[in-house]
Amino acid sequence: MEKSPPQKALKFLRWFCKQEYLEEIEGDLIELFEDQYEESPRQARRNFNWTVIRYFRPAFIRFFTFTNHSITPAMIKSDLKISWRSLRKQPFFTFLNTFGLAIGIAGVILISLFIYDEFSYDTMFADADQIYRIDIENKNAGEVNSYAAAPGPLANRMRQDYPHIEQLSRFMNMGTVFMRRENSEIALKEKDVVAADSAFLNLFGISMLEGDPATALANPNSVVLTTSEALEHFGTENVMGESLIKSDGEIYTITGLVRDMPRHSFLRDHGIFFSLSSFEEADDKAWNNWIFPTFVKLRSSANQQHLDEYLSDVKERYIIPWAMTFVPGLTLESARESAEKTGDYMRFSSIALTDIHLYSPNKNGEFSQNSDIQSVYILGIIGLFLIVLAVVNFMNLSTAQSLKRAKEVGVRKTLGSIRFDLIRQFLTESILVSFLSSMLAVFIAFETLPLFNALSGKTMSLPLTDPVFWGIIISGVLVLGLLSGFYPSFFMSRFVPIQVLKGSNMPQVGGGNIRNSLVVFQFAISIILIVGTLVVHQQLTFIQNKDLGFQKNQVLVIDDVNTAGHQLQTFKEEVKRLNEVKNASLSSFLPTPSARNGVTFFLKGEVLEPESAIIMGNWRVDYDYLSTLNLELIAGRGFDESFGTDSSAIILNESAVTMMGMKPEEVIGMQLTNDFRRSDKENMKYITIIGVMKNFHYETMRNRIDGMSLVLGNNPDKMMVKLRAGAFSDTIAEIENIWSDVSPGQPMNYYFMDDSFNDVYQSELRLGRVFLIFTALSILISCLGLFGLATFNAERRIKEIGIRKVLGASVPQIIAKLSTDFLKLVAIASLIALPAGWYIMNRWLQDFSYRIDIGIDVFLIAAGVAITISLLTISYQSIKAAMLNPVQSLKNE
Amino acid sequence: MGKQSIGEFEELVLLVVAAHNSNAYGVLIREKLQEELERKVNISSVHVVLKRLEKKGLVKSKFGGITSERGGRRKKFYSITAQGKNILDYQYELRTSMYKKIPKISFS
Repeated sequence: MEKSPPQKALKFLRWFCKQEYLEEIEGDLIELFEDQYEESPRQARRNFNWTVIRYFRPAFIRFFTFTNHSITPAMIKSDLKISWRSLRKQPFFTFLNTFGLAIGIAGVILISLFIYDEFSYDTMFADADQIYRIDIENKNAGEVNSYAAAPGPLANRMRQDYPHIEQLSRFMNMGTVFMRRENSEIALKEKDVVAADSAFLNLFGISMLEGDPATALANPNSVVLTTSEALEHFGTENVMGESLIKSDGEIYTITGLVRDMPRHSFLRDHGIFFSLSSFEEADDKAWNNWIFPTFVKLRSSANQQHLDEYLSDVKERYIIPWAMTFVPGLTLESARESAEKTGDYMRFSSIALTDIHLYSPNKNGEFSQNSDIQSVYILGIIGLFLIVLAVVNFMNLSTAQSLKRAKEVGVRKTLGSIRFDLIRQFLTESILVSFLSSMLAVFIAFETLPLFNALSGKTMSLPLTDPVFWGIIISGVLVLGLLSGFYPSFFMSRFVPIQVLKGSNMPQVGGGNIRNSLVVFQFAISIILIVGTLVVHQQLTFIQNKDLGFQKNQVLVIDDVNTAGHQLQTFKEEVKRLNEVKNASLSSFLPTPSARNGVTFFLKGEVLEPESAIIMGNWRVDYDYLSTLNLELIAGRGFDESFGTDSSAIILNESAVTMMGMKPEEVIGMQLTNDFRRSDKENMKYITIIGVMKNFHYETMRNRIDGMSLVLGNNPDKMMVKLRAGAFSDTIAEIENIWSDVSPGQPMNYYFMDDSFNDVYQSELRLGRVFLIFTALSILISCLGLFGLATFNAERRIKEIGIRKVLGASVPQIIAKLSTDFLKLVAIASLIALPAGWYIMNRWLQDFSYRIDIGIDVFLIAAGVAITISLLTISYQSIKAAMLNPVQSLKNE
Repeated sequence: MGKQSIGEFEELVLLVVAAHNSNAYGVLIREKLQEELERKVNISSVHVVLKRLEKKGLVKSKFGGITSERGGRRKKFYSITAQGKNILDYQYELRTSMYKKIPKISFS
């Protein structure tokens, strides 16, 4: 025995070596080994091992084609036939499997579409990967603002100083304008309009239907329209050379027509492009007016890092030298020093064009509403959860069923199947199921896509004609089939024929622990999702019902009232005279969230240093503002016409007073100025604090209430009308009547303030709905799995139940017995999932300055829901098993 | 013929097979080679060459009887074929005739 050669090496040799050479080689090797063994056993072994390895070369390696069980078409056909039969033999389990998997896959298809859609933004532009936008992040006296725009003069300086630019295009944000045709009274409103320089069309490779891209925007007073914009104004696409008149009387000639901007581009909301040279502001030499979105297309000689390096120098290179020309005493050193002292900064950076949609969370001057990478992550994780749940389900149901198929395995093995054949058979089955599921899933996804589109605010469609889509689906089918069939097939093919065929002690089906942990895993995920749904819902309810500090109900907002011109005051007085109208106020500032900048003030007598600056919002309102919105004063008084001096009065909110480090009563009568930039400091204008109002939520609940102030001002573009309860539509009709008198031909745009408030929380509402849907799906999948397991369990224990009943157990006792097993699993799942859910949702809540605490009720409800649903799921099978007459179940013995 | 060529190690193995005609098997061939060459030869290289020679039709093989040696595995005996002998002859003639053409060279 001690003379025998190393068995492992021998086994290896036998495995790979060609059959016809084996005996000779083995013989020679053993002879050599025995010879050498006399001298040194260790040496002999080492030589033997080494020599075996040397035989591992093409001349001796056999063909691994499984000569005696090769995969032939006939074999596959037989596999498929038997798979189909066994699936049909178990219609119920097949249904559970297929349906569960299909729901999971459908969810993943929808989520993948969503994610793909999110990542496809701005990729349609030629050389999109070489285009960058210049951004600024500015921190001034503690307040951080992000801009998607650059100072005006930067573009020209870059063209001179930065050689790696292939093209550069500069835009200018113009806000809302009104345009009308020459012979028409009705002006159409154009929101967030931009002017662009002549490089714009070429840089983005926008092809023109009419006009020359190089010159269309070169001359002053030219304008390029998209087709739908042209149709809106003229009713025809034949508009070249026609004119449009802006509300300031300037006439613009149409010099170009382009197709509508792609739906997935940052320009999607834009239909009208003015030539930048039409506006004096375009030549603005000031470096502190950041309304010029600037895009550069880099040569291949540079990359983004290179560009960022250049941009990081912009402040010291251009802005401070420019500021030195009018700020006495300012030097580069003093600027650095004060920046270091205050922590303020001004950072120039670039963002890749294709990153704008997901990584530029709505900065000032953004072209369109952007999305957020976070929501992509959340959905991606949910999608992963779904597919894992569905696969786990499949594995669970299949192994549970294995009991029934143990005999089949035994017979097949006896008849000569080797393990490989069985594994192949079972894998064929799981691939078949995953194929059926995928087809069903595509159908479900197709049917629910409109609903999903409505929820997510997108217009996606299934690329049913795209071979890539089907390629992905087919490879998904294979991967999914192999993944979900892997464990069951290896598990079942391990059965020893003699054991399973003996029959009497058959229920030796192991894997119970794995099955149980899979159920725990499924329910843990479902419970986390339930917690998520509850918390999102509670937070939304909290936000929507929180006392905002002002009355947003029954307030009608009328947009663009400035089109009424000098008749505006008349309009307001007329409206106020209506019976159903309590009050009306004119102002451009609504207490609803929107991008606003702070204004810097100094208290009279303070030194003009950044440390003593008071930065707060500054809203220009009218006398009726406070009373229309029911804003509450806690000190002083509101604006009052009878004083006559209120044009130099200011009202602060509590936060502003706190910022000043004082009490509300103390600040009344103090004087502030924001007029400190003038050179003759002795002539600075001061305004007097006349009142302090209670804090009200004018930002989203994400943000703290910052300091803000009200002053009297003009040029309002909105009117708020506080209505009495009653028939709003009649009142609105009356207001429209008055409107048509003061502003003939102009439509009246109006909405209720509380509606616009809900718009701000769109992304949360959307998240809430998405959570709800996918929670429902994951619970459904988990329940399908649990139902299958309960069925299996009841069947397996049918004799035990019979005996228990014979021995006097009552039906409720047996139901309790059967249910507790599963309830234990759900309880364990709760223990794992509740802390995890709490942790995740707490992180989410951190985004809100005003948020709920996650109460114990959330956990109770989540665990309760899970337990109730699982009880309901298993109750049918438990009751059925418990009610069964013992005679039925025991008669076979 | 003539086109068929064999390498040096193949020629050596073929020579050993010819010398021990129909008694040559793996271990023996290796031993003889080691003796002649005075260096280690791995059995696997011998086997590789034998298989190659057999494929070329220069040797043929048959199994011997079962004995208690070698763990009961039969030996495979190799013998040279006529074609193999022809090649050896050809090689020998080629070398001698070429050798004879070497003029007397003195390395003083």
